[in-house]
Amino acid sequence: MTRWERSVPVYGIPVVNRGFWGLLIVVAIGMVLTVFREVVGLGITSGMSDPYAWGLWKTFNVMVLTGLGSGAFAVGIAAWVFNRTKLHSVMRVALLTSFLAYFSGLAMLGVDVGRPWNFYWVMLPWQWNLHSPLLEIAFCMSMYATLPLFLENLPPVFEYVIYEFPKWGGIARFCEKVLTKVYPFLIGLAYLLPIMHQSSLGALMLLGGNRVNALWQTPFLPLIYVWASGFLGYNCVVLCLLLAKVAWGRDVDPEVLAEMNRITCWVAFTWTAFRFADILVRGKILLALRPSAYSLLFWTETILIAGSAYLLYSEKGKKLQVMFLAHAACALGGMIYRFSPTTLAFRPRPGAFYFPSAIEVLICVGFIALMVLGYIIAVKKLAILPGTNADWLKMAKYEERIKPGIRLTGYAPVEH
Amino acid sequence: MAITRREVFKNIAKGSLPILAAGCVSGAFSEVAHDNEIVPMPKGAVGLLYDATKCVGCKSCMVACARANDLEPDTRTDGLHQSPPALNSVTKNIIKLYRTADGSDHSYFKQQCMHCADPTCVTACMFEAMRKDPETGIVWWLGSKCVGCRYCEIACPFHIPAFQWGRFNPKIVKCELCRDRLGKGLEPGCTTICPTQAVIYGPHAVLLAEAKRRIAQSPGRYAESRVYGETDGGGTQVLYLSRVPFRRLGLPDLGYDPVPERLKFQHRIYKWFALPTVLYAGMVFYASRNFKQHAHHLVEDQKTTGLRPQL
Repeated sequence: MTRWERSVPVYGIPVVNRGFWGLLIVVAIGMVLTVFREVVGLGITSGMSDPYAWGLWKTFNVMVLTGLGSGAFAVGIAAWVFNRTKLHSVMRVALLTSFLAYFSGLAMLGVDVGRPWNFYWVMLPWQWNLHSPLLEIAFCMSMYATLPLFLENLPPVFEYVIYEFPKWGGIARFCEKVLTKVYPFLIGLAYLLPIMHQSSLGALMLLGGNRVNALWQTPFLPLIYVWASGFLGYNCVVLCLLLAKVAWGRDVDPEVLAEMNRITCWVAFTWTAFRFADILVRGKILLALRPSAYSLLFWTETILIAGSAYLLYSEKGKKLQVMFLAHAACALGGMIYRFSPTTLAFRPRPGAFYFPSAIEVLICVGFIALMVLGYIIAVKKLAILPGTNADWLKMAKYEERIKPGIRLTGYAPVEH
Repeated sequence: MAITRREVFKNIAKGSLPILAAGCVSGAFSEVAHDNEIVPMPKGAVGLLYDATKCVGCKSCMVACARANDLEPDTRTDGLHQSPPALNSVTKNIIKLYRTADGSDHSYFKQQCMHCADPTCVTACMFEAMRKDPETGIVWWLGSKCVGCRYCEIACPFHIPAFQWGRFNPKIVKCELCRDRLGKGLEPGCTTICPTQAVIYGPHAVLLAEAKRRIAQSPGRYAESRVYGETDGGGTQVLYLSRVPFRRLGLPDLGYDPVPERLKFQHRIYKWFALPTVLYAGMVFYASRNFKQHAHHLVEDQKTTGLRPQL
């Protein structure tokens, strides 16, 4: 049985390969179209209109993908605040996925807004409208991504510098030391800010009023949103770990996975229960029982999330294939839920219709490909994916053979 | 370090104390603070009164509006002037026809910004690009503050703001009650031309009294025997009278409370930033304790493996 002890880079596989070029082409198409969008405006390049003023870029890349990128928050709060020590081994994966998701989301936000040159107001607090949930998101999300999340992602980079560029090792060690000193204050911020902006993402649609279908529109929308990011973060991290096994043959630690499954399943169960309770109390349950597109959507979400939570709870969930399917289904359900209030269950006025244009989809996919590309480069260069000490020694032997000057083992004890 | 189940529960209980407290406090407040007070109108509030029973659907007001605001005529592609299906970036004012399928009933309907007492777009806007004039109560748009996020379009319960989708430098377009003309002592474009006085301009209080007078004068003539906009969504400075029920014309049932009231829980939680601070302090407390344990664990590990510890 494998025990995850430390993070080990994916070694022996070149960064530039066929997959890399494929992703790069998708990214390039997305970037070229982004420039095109900036020149000609939103009307030609997107399917958005006055009633459906928000398209895929905000509703999917920001609302949905930052939910999926909540691993740093969801896994981190369990590991550091609730002292689930086993989860420390997967923290680096969680931090990296979150960082990429948030930066891609923020970049998309910049592409989506029509007058981005006015964004500098966000730096002048006395110009803020403190009542606006969107302001809370714009400020809090960019602060989270550039401060705690960015700094939390630095240790693997320092490590890389220490090993690969010994000349700069002193500076990297010093930075690491400073970071270690402020770390607890940093991670406190790294959980407070996501709680704030993930709930504000839900608060956005409170102002949508009755145009959001009553199955979704509730005063508890902010709470349900932040709660959903709780299991979505775990889904994303577990899927990354299992895909690493498929793609690079990395062994999995069944105990850590079991711990994550347990947490995912309880968060998803309680989320579903709370949502049902909310709908029951508001007396809207009949809407879910009457056959309609909305009830179909509602049951799709519910069955995907609760069903996969049950799979993870049962004995079957220990099998890796089942675990993968369950997490994928749970992530899909959660993503549909986060997508519904702004798009699928949002009916601004009769006859209004939104379907993303080809350019919109290509830009959206381009930014997602950028995330995947960043992830693949990072796990091959930096120690992100968890492995064993034996893995590290094997990797060290390999690296030291092809790059004679570097030293990856035999470090004397240092005090932290 | 092994952690007992008991300890986990204890930590969870401690960590969630601030959240519980937040829930109790906000719950208690929501019981007390439920009042049916109408949002006060600005002192010099001006507005429009549109009486659908008087409107003959000539659309002169649409032309007058376009002229007063220097908007190009909305021709779309078919060459028909000023007959768009809805408000858009060159139409700040529109006359629509409501008609039942069998033609038994019909009414005209004028749509433009309602100039709400507590406007949702103003609450939604990040940098106060949408603002309500404290004197006249007119809701207007300041381009130098707008980032073009279009949250005002999502938030407005009346679907008023429109975005210039085709522009490199897009603007938000909506009725501003001809602010510039009012400054010159003129009336808004739409009210200057109406042949039947279906839409009139004046101080909000005067218009409301006039609307009530009309209802009293001809009982049973008007739908629900009330003025739409007196209390709807906290009150609007544009008032409607109609024979056909308002919701059929596309005026939403907003109830008494302004739409921004839906955010009151959020505002209470963030008040003084007290609860987030408590939550932060609590999390830092546990995180630093657990961090110390983890660091100790890392150093112990290094002694046996000789590998550099990883944070």
